[in-house]
Amino acid sequence: MSINQTMSTPNTNALELSRKARAASWRARLARNPEWFTAALIAVTCVVVTSLNPRFLQWATLFDMLHSATTMSLFALGTLVVLASGGIDVSFTAIGALTMYAITKAVFAWWPDAPFALILATGAIGGVLLGLLNGVLVYRLKAPSLIVTIGTQYLYRGVLLTFVGTTFFMNIPHSMDRFGRIPLIAYRTADGLHAVLPISVIALVVAALATWWLLNRTMMGRAVYAMGGSLAIAERLGYNLRAVHLFVFGYTGFLAGIAGILHVSNNRIANPFDLVGSELDVIAAVILGGARITGGSGTVIGTLLGVVLVTLINNVLILIGVPSTWQKVIVGAFILIAGTLFVLRRRG
Amino acid sequence: MNEHQASEPLLQVVGVHKRFTGVHALRGVTLSFARGQIYHLLGENGCGKSTLIKIISGAQPPDEGELVIEGARYARLSPLQALAAGIETVYQDLSLLPNLSVAENVALTAELAEHDGRLARTFDRRVLFSTARRALEAVGLPSDAEFQRTLIEQLPLATRQLVAIARAIASEAKFVIMDEPTTSLTQKEVANLIEVLETLRAQGVTVLFVSHKLDECFAIGGEVIVMRDGQKVAQGPIADYSKAQLSELMTGRKLSEERYRDAANSHAEVVLDVQELGRREQFRQVSFALHRGEILGVTGLLDSGRNELARALAGVSPADTGTVTLEGRRVTLSTPADAKRHRIGYVPEDRLSEGLFLDKSIRENVITAMISSLRDRFGQIDRKRSRALAVDTVKELQIATPDIDKPVQSLSGGNQQRVLIGRWLAIDPHVLILHGPTVGVDVGSKDIIYRIMQRLSQRGIGILLISDDLPELLLNCDRILMMKKGRIAGEYRAEGLTEAALYQALLAEAGPAQAEPV
Repeated sequence: MSINQTMSTPNTNALELSRKARAASWRARLARNPEWFTAALIAVTCVVVTSLNPRFLQWATLFDMLHSATTMSLFALGTLVVLASGGIDVSFTAIGALTMYAITKAVFAWWPDAPFALILATGAIGGVLLGLLNGVLVYRLKAPSLIVTIGTQYLYRGVLLTFVGTTFFMNIPHSMDRFGRIPLIAYRTADGLHAVLPISVIALVVAALATWWLLNRTMMGRAVYAMGGSLAIAERLGYNLRAVHLFVFGYTGFLAGIAGILHVSNNRIANPFDLVGSELDVIAAVILGGARITGGSGTVIGTLLGVVLVTLINNVLILIGVPSTWQKVIVGAFILIAGTLFVLRRRG
Repeated sequence: MNEHQASEPLLQVVGVHKRFTGVHALRGVTLSFARGQIYHLLGENGCGKSTLIKIISGAQPPDEGELVIEGARYARLSPLQALAAGIETVYQDLSLLPNLSVAENVALTAELAEHDGRLARTFDRRVLFSTARRALEAVGLPSDAEFQRTLIEQLPLATRQLVAIARAIASEAKFVIMDEPTTSLTQKEVANLIEVLETLRAQGVTVLFVSHKLDECFAIGGEVIVMRDGQKVAQGPIADYSKAQLSELMTGRKLSEERYRDAANSHAEVVLDVQELGRREQFRQVSFALHRGEILGVTGLLDSGRNELARALAGVSPADTGTVTLEGRRVTLSTPADAKRHRIGYVPEDRLSEGLFLDKSIRENVITAMISSLRDRFGQIDRKRSRALAVDTVKELQIATPDIDKPVQSLSGGNQQRVLIGRWLAIDPHVLILHGPTVGVDVGSKDIIYRIMQRLSQRGIGILLISDDLPELLLNCDRILMMKKGRIAGEYRAEGLTEAALYQALLAEAGPAQAEPV
């Protein structure tokens, strides 16, 4: 059958209806680009902070933030993929903690001179395996991913603390230590401080680009959103849901494994009690970036903006003399504001 | 297309059986579908037509028998194989992904089927957009980039329907199954849909229509297949049958074409008096009186404001101007709880999402409206009384179920609707607003619902029947109000009025209300 043939009579009724639907209100625009709202919040925060403390505006602040945001960004990109697929993962911090501590400890004990690339790859593989276990469980049990990953979070963390160790150590393998010190950019600030942009920021950029490409340019990415839109419909349309589940949780584990290793080399300490407990911060950042908790939406740009916003609040309050306990209050308020707006945009 | 291909049937269903636990849903069904034909699959709920569709579309495997598609035999099909073979099913929910764009919904399925469902690959966005553009043009939708990028959730239902058909075209479907496609469309939209399907048919596509609306089937024409109890009971050109014959074939019993309404039971006493009611841009200056025991119909096109009027009277989306007087007392209806307190019952159009708790039992669904009066002195629900109430309701409304503790979703559409009506009977209503009560309900159930309506009106309940099913209005009402562009454009006595006359009045662009300055 030919699909070039156009109907002789134009379909006026449908034309009229769809034109009505297209009348672009601010709500429709916000619905399509919720990250604008996140960007606006960032801008407002920056303006307020700068007016109170002009020293905020310098490269060193940005470097500091990028440094502390690397781990969170990797976690957040994984969380974005899971949320877009209609699931939720709270075990990624436990995956990061288990891989980073177990690998650091093993390398230090058996092969202290192992190259960094190998350590990073091992972390990634470990993360993928633990993530795949999540994916298999969620798909096989047909259980809510929240429940499954609460379970595996406890499991992974329990294994870490019971069988691997509970003491932190600062003697990390040489190559990890050296990687953490490589500067991408370094300069001396006006007040004589040393500002360094660590090389691990490259991992953030690569991960962001890779996630964007996977989500927007591959069939798998579209399948992730399709499943997030409706599991039942996606199945009916022939999407392989097992593959999507494995990809989503495996990819999150992959990023979490890498995040764990970078975390160790950036902070030059391997602490088994680190990371776990920051899941909600990460999920909050992704939600602030416009992803719906109910699935099927979210963008890489929005997620990065969400991370910037949360990191900004966590880092700058001290600059303007607000006690750091206020961080939670402000992040909470922003989430409530964003949540309200994002709900309104759907009611139209 | 050469001679050989043209004579060979497109799709054959050969001796298909399907059993579910305890139910023999299909008992040896054999069918043959030619190219470029329109078929109507008719049958009551539970006759096996949904199962048949699922087997043809690959959603379920048959227990026995096979499918032959263009000469290739399949003992079972996967959804992907069915798509690759050119079989596209447009389910009632349209199977569109609400969070993806029009272009993606139209073209991704084809892309997926073309590559055996492989996900580990990139796709060419330009190809995606150009495929979508051609398909959208073929159904008469806009095909510019902005429309292609619009998310499905932002589109009205009628447009979504056309997007679903565009997807079938993009997938180069040869066989399109449409499951009750016109259920939620207005008559104008239905006419438009039929036009699109006719174009498809002319291009050699076979369309299998599943619908409860016999009038539409006659309007569309083509072949009819009637199923009953898992078997085919008749097949032939639809023009060879009368409506009464088809109903008889479907139900196995004779149905009357007579008016259900017995004019004698309407009283002069006004139960609900509405004056100058209005809400935003949706409807204005709506005034009418509903008498005790009267059935008053309200109809109009989708943009006429009839739906909004119903929702305003139910307190769901309240009116902002005008007055409502119930039993001689002014009442304010700003929430559904207000309407309930004043004993106005509302059976919404979309019973699945607005009305019923699908996974809860029949008993629980029936008692929700009067749950506060069932509380004993400790605040607990009186189980005995709630059971008695549910049992009475099930009996009175002839709800076919062995057990009132079964979940509502185990019931057929017609029985679900009766549960919803039953809930309001429990509060002994003054006024019952029925909004499309027989949408998606089979012929036999329709008959029962109509009889129930008449019985309720005899009890003195004033019934407001909002519907776009014209025969339904003519068979049941005393008077019919016609709404246009938010106003009441006309009032008709149902008795003696023909469907053709009412239909013309519905489509006439310039109603009396329009002549007035707005």
